[in-house]
Amino acid sequence: MENSEVGTTKSEWAARWADLKYTLYLLRKNPLVMAGIFMTFFFIALMFLANYIVDPKLANPAGYPEFGGNYPFQRSYVWSKGNIINWGPGIHLYEGPEFFLLGTDGWGRDLLKMIVLAIPVDIENAIIITLGAAAFGTLLGALAGYVGGVIDEVVLRITDIFLSIPYLILALVFATMFGRTIETLRFSILLVFWPTYVRLMRGQILSEKEKSYVEALKALGAGHARVLFGHIIPNSIYPVLVQATLDFGSVVLTFSALMFLGFSPSPSLPELGNLASDGYFHIFDAPWLMMFSGLTMLLIALAFNLLGDGLRDVLDPRIRR
Amino acid sequence: MKLYEYIIRRLILMIFVLLGISLIVFYLARGFPSGIDPVTPYIHSKMTAEQIEMVRKIHGFDQPLAIQFFYWIRDILQGDWGITGTWANSRPTNVVFFSHFPYTVELSVAATILTVAIGLPLGIISALKNNKLPDHVSRIIALAGYSVPAYWFGFVLQLVFFYYLSLWGLPHLPSSGASGMEGVVSCITGMPVLDGILAGNLGYTLDALAHLILPAFSLSFISMGFLTRIVRAGMLEVLRQDYITLARSKGLTERVVIYRHALKNALIPAVTLTGMFFALLLGGAMITEYVFAWPGVGQISLRAVFQGDSNFLLVYTLVTAAIIVIANLIVDVLYVFLDPRIKY
Repeated sequence: MENSEVGTTKSEWAARWADLKYTLYLLRKNPLVMAGIFMTFFFIALMFLANYIVDPKLANPAGYPEFGGNYPFQRSYVWSKGNIINWGPGIHLYEGPEFFLLGTDGWGRDLLKMIVLAIPVDIENAIIITLGAAAFGTLLGALAGYVGGVIDEVVLRITDIFLSIPYLILALVFATMFGRTIETLRFSILLVFWPTYVRLMRGQILSEKEKSYVEALKALGAGHARVLFGHIIPNSIYPVLVQATLDFGSVVLTFSALMFLGFSPSPSLPELGNLASDGYFHIFDAPWLMMFSGLTMLLIALAFNLLGDGLRDVLDPRIRR
Repeated sequence: MKLYEYIIRRLILMIFVLLGISLIVFYLARGFPSGIDPVTPYIHSKMTAEQIEMVRKIHGFDQPLAIQFFYWIRDILQGDWGITGTWANSRPTNVVFFSHFPYTVELSVAATILTVAIGLPLGIISALKNNKLPDHVSRIIALAGYSVPAYWFGFVLQLVFFYYLSLWGLPHLPSSGASGMEGVVSCITGMPVLDGILAGNLGYTLDALAHLILPAFSLSFISMGFLTRIVRAGMLEVLRQDYITLARSKGLTERVVIYRHALKNALIPAVTLTGMFFALLLGGAMITEYVFAWPGVGQISLRAVFQGDSNFLLVYTLVTAAIIVIANLIVDVLYVFLDPRIKY
């Protein structure tokens, strides 16, 4: 088979293994990256476990049978008495049977529980958006770079256009036109992030397709699809992975910013931007809403940015050794 | 290719990019019956259905989309940008836009100055003390900068520098708005700080500056991180090059080597970034303007979105996109002056 002729030999695998071990060593050596990895794992784990830690029914009126199937509005925007933080005057202290570590929101729900329920919503959506944008952008960029000519020019001009529209207004206009659903929001943010990947992948492909192994593959009779998808794209995918990790932080921030600005499908949806938005008109009498939902957002974005920043350093051959 | 040929080529290309942007946004704004009704700015609640239909006919909103687009482009070129809805007192769109634009310009200039003033030294220190404590600290600041949600950071600043300082009876900064003394000095440029200086009114100027500090710092903190990282990377790259070794071996002091020889070349990518950042800010920092109730175009456009005002949205998108495209061109031309090796 031609596979054995072009494929990797045994010693090459050994070299790759050594390379991987060195990469892992570099990662272990960097405390910031390790912090990023642990935080990322923590949030991903929370994403899967949130619904088991906190009953998701608590986000809806159905979770409060003791209040007759209504939200417990009588305890909205309250702060438990005896809590460590003293916010100053003007806040409602709560002396009921329950203790709210992070206070309650406008619906009288426990903010800590809502944040736990919100984390999967944010991370899940950000993963879908980032993967969607990366996949679409990479494919288009690879095609543009590989085929070249008119297609390349047209694709580049289209990315120019998308990069020139202020990103928030593009997402806002799109979300206004198609209604406030999660799908619309996902698509509107995807619309903002895909052009970067086109540029990135196109640049990679342009230098990769001139290399001699591509010529060798073609001489062996490999088709375009096999050369592109089997060899060129896998060989130039690392920068895309790093970019995606770095973008993840921005995506999660943009998603919650849109929610904060009022594009949420439902104001009671437990989502970090939405919870913060609930606190916008109560910043002095219920500051915990903004404070803790924003802080969680910051930690999620920081986790992925630390990871992406470290990965870039480790995988970049110029800084590496 | 000569420089002016390059500029002309880019200007021609710009027309196509702007046309593409208008096509996309126009299609988004007018192409879907479920979205914003373009007739909204022209009607009020007391009109009958027939009257609304008539308004629709007069403005050509019943025509096919392609013809509407043609009319719209023609009107834009003739300077008729349509009117806003009752949310902005039905004033012409360009009047509304340009009465709020100076506020955005003021905020953008202040934020950019702060970004460069803090981010540049941080980046240089970071590169000179590579992998030592100052580098790690500046790295963490940078990472925090681009991980922080804009609304949250603005809120924390307000809480600390306005609410708690005033609670403890200490001098504090104002939390929102662009000026606390409206109408004291005549409006010449529309930018409170500049107007105060032009009128020679110290109290007004200081008040306007106090209003500016928190939103400007909030914006600059976010972009500072990017600048720090890019200056650091640029410096590290340049410091490895032969001409720096030569400069050192000539016996030049470290100070001269770094500030006269290295920095100039390391700054080229930083110039692009700062230029693009400034252009983006001129489009209005929606979230920060919203949090600080800053009367700039970002906040106004947000209101237009919620009021379903497609006239304003279309103009706003087109103008901000034009700013970004022009800034791109200026930055590319600046390259030639900064780096004589680059030729077009």
